[in-house]
Amino acid sequence: MASITRFRACDHLLNLNIFRSSFKKNGMLNALWFHTTPRRLVVELKMPSLSPTMTSGTIVNWHKKEGDTVNPGDVLCEIQTDKAVMAFETEEEGTLAKIFIGNDSHDVQVGSLIALLAEPGEDWKNATCSDTPKVASEKPKNPPKPNCEVSSSEHQDKRNSKRAMTLGPAVRNLLERYGLSPIAILGSGPRGLLLKGDVLHHIQKENLKPVPISSAAEPKISSKAIVTEPQKSDLQKGTTKKIQNLTHEQEYQDLELSSMRRTIAKRLTASKTGIPHAYSTINCKVDTVMNLRQKFKNEGIKFSINDIIIKAVATALDLCPEANVIWQGDQLVQPTNVDISVAVATNSGLITPIVTDVLGRGVLEIGDMVRDLAERARGGKLQLHEFQGGSFTISNLGMYGVSEFSAIINPPQCAILAVGGSRLELGDDGKPAMVMSATLSYDGEAISPVAAATFMSTLQRLLESPQSLLLGHRSLPE
Amino acid sequence: MFSVTLRCLGRQVHQQNKSLAPLFTYSKNGLNTEATFDTKPFKLHKLEEGPATTVTLSRQDALKYYKDMQMIRRMETAAGNLYKEKIIRGFCHLYSGQEACCVGMRASMRSYDAVITAYRAHGWTYIMGVDAVGVLAELTGRSTGCARGKGGSMHMYVKNFYGGNGIVGAQQPLGAGIALALKYQGTDGVCLTLYGDGAANQGQLYEAMNMAQLWKLPVIFICENNGYGMGTSVDRASASTAYYTRGDYVPGIWVDGMDVLAVREATRFAIDHCATGKGPMVMEVVTYRYSGHSMSDPGTSYRSRDEIQEVRQTRDPITGFRERMLSTDLATADELKDIDQNVRQVIDDAVKRAKSDKEIGLDELTADIMSNPIDTRVRGVTAFDTLTHKRIGPAVNS
Repeated sequence: MASITRFRACDHLLNLNIFRSSFKKNGMLNALWFHTTPRRLVVELKMPSLSPTMTSGTIVNWHKKEGDTVNPGDVLCEIQTDKAVMAFETEEEGTLAKIFIGNDSHDVQVGSLIALLAEPGEDWKNATCSDTPKVASEKPKNPPKPNCEVSSSEHQDKRNSKRAMTLGPAVRNLLERYGLSPIAILGSGPRGLLLKGDVLHHIQKENLKPVPISSAAEPKISSKAIVTEPQKSDLQKGTTKKIQNLTHEQEYQDLELSSMRRTIAKRLTASKTGIPHAYSTINCKVDTVMNLRQKFKNEGIKFSINDIIIKAVATALDLCPEANVIWQGDQLVQPTNVDISVAVATNSGLITPIVTDVLGRGVLEIGDMVRDLAERARGGKLQLHEFQGGSFTISNLGMYGVSEFSAIINPPQCAILAVGGSRLELGDDGKPAMVMSATLSYDGEAISPVAAATFMSTLQRLLESPQSLLLGHRSLPE
Repeated sequence: MFSVTLRCLGRQVHQQNKSLAPLFTYSKNGLNTEATFDTKPFKLHKLEEGPATTVTLSRQDALKYYKDMQMIRRMETAAGNLYKEKIIRGFCHLYSGQEACCVGMRASMRSYDAVITAYRAHGWTYIMGVDAVGVLAELTGRSTGCARGKGGSMHMYVKNFYGGNGIVGAQQPLGAGIALALKYQGTDGVCLTLYGDGAANQGQLYEAMNMAQLWKLPVIFICENNGYGMGTSVDRASASTAYYTRGDYVPGIWVDGMDVLAVREATRFAIDHCATGKGPMVMEVVTYRYSGHSMSDPGTSYRSRDEIQEVRQTRDPITGFRERMLSTDLATADELKDIDQNVRQVIDDAVKRAKSDKEIGLDELTADIMSNPIDTRVRGVTAFDTLTHKRIGPAVNS
């Protein structure tokens, strides 16, 4: 039909201005133009995001072939998203002109061109588009990158760490002999695995010589085993310089065991495993003792709480002789005197010098002796008889702030008292009181629980009212 | 207006109507200027007579309706594609398949009638006066959007159009309120309150209907029944699927929503009913949506693809209307194709602009929050940060 008449008949149409402007612009005569508005010839179909979290997907299969007619609502292809397989429909009408990304294409980014749709009536065979497709239909897998430089890519580190863990024994042997690092060699096995052939090839290429044994670095196995751990943190940092350094540094320090320590260790082990340890704890209110000490201090007489404890323990042992026993071979012996070993910490270990005949000495004398013994113990000047013997040990960690602990019995003794520090607590009467905990570890074979309990309660009484120290045997409750 | 040239007086042209012969035709180059059609019969509830089933359509109107429906269809398709490209985020509810509803209703509305609808509102936004750029740029959040990009899909407003409401059924009592306002202001304006088949079971609808009937408010409660409330079909959701009868004491009409002329006719009848003070009316417009409920719904897990294709092929509003126009020589195929091309061009340009336009700056953080700011201080992040209210443009519908 004549386009002239049609033009005039379309005066009223809303797209009048567009007709006129295109008409004027082209400067064409009425008879020459075929279309009223500029038209697109093709519709570019891009990879849709079919789920809110989708960034790339797989085109599973195409439902339409090139040349098929497409109606609005038709399914073009099935796309596998991160969640499910969804159908990709289109609202366009036309002919499927070209498929750029075919069936079973993985990792197609959202937004990349996948096909072209020609307008109905257009020649679809010659459909072209403005930009070239960004993604090829077959994406080859990433080949393992050779890195002689230490790279900082995370992907690289992951593979390296994997490799470090899965080296064969022959490979490891070679690496060790030639002093090589597995990272520096390109692996040609599956998933980048380092093979013996790769190492041999590398050695041959570089003309390497085996490293002399004396100057060899840390054994590769242990360093590798440790290297994987810090590598995890390196992954976060993204640097791998540390890996190289670690093989030459020491990651741990050897502690030499002195003979004294060995002896202590032997004895403690024997004691703990051989003697049936039983424990008994008691809390003592030490306000009175502390006030007493303060009063004496004001007068110029100084002694420590520990000294009083030693005196009290000795008195309690005197009052409860069942707790004052030692082993002599298979025989249980009850000594008449009370000799108390006091635990002293020295640089070379724990030593227990003995304060002999505590019952016969006053607190001040006990204090002097303890101080003297401790000083000589730290200087290593104790004589044998000064730390061998004793029927009971006291260990005091109160000065370190320890509130309660239990100690290991020193054979041939049968008991040890662990004294903690005093702490402020609310007493039964609602008033605050300074409380100290003492834990008795005793030999269940030698001392019965009742005997131990009696001893502990006696000790508590003596510490809570130190005037009882004056009373002697008759003070024992029935 | 359309200039009629009577060059071919008396030329008889065959009409291929549904049943009735044309009353009179003015033909120009084989094209008619008017045609008459029959619609599906309306179902009535508590009404003696209903809208006319014979409708006349002028050529100009036909082309306008066709173009509008095509614009909405393409605009929604473009929105869907933009969403799939991740340029539109968040919610996006598409109106594809339901174009005849809004186009037909708008055709009968007067300029001072109000509309309020739910979240499937892009088609309504367009038909109430926002151009394609305004809608698409709003979806992509640019400053050329109708709400300056601050609102998005469910926040589009224009004169006499009250949105865009996200909460299901929230707009039902609001619509009754708008009708009350129109009556109070002394106009004979009517408020069209649209809701879906899912929202038809909301309690506040019946509260609003009660008040509307009691006070004879000029509100038309329109249920756009597309067969599915999200993924639930109407049979599984409602004890009574005759939504036009659900108003009980409110008269109702059942309309075929895929026929733009039937919708136009029914709306004309309803507006007439309400504007003459007879009280509210319920309309059930049976339509269909091709896409899923929203962009995160593929739309095929609760219905078969065959069903969608069947509706597309037999009941599509645009193709149905096109066939009517061609069969009665209201337009030629080329003409319609040109309109299609033009629409596609306009939408393509709108998409380009929606992608490339700028967003608003941070200085608009406190802009246009209140329509009448008595106190211009706006609270910042803490009670001690104060910002100042800015006025950029007048409030819509204030």
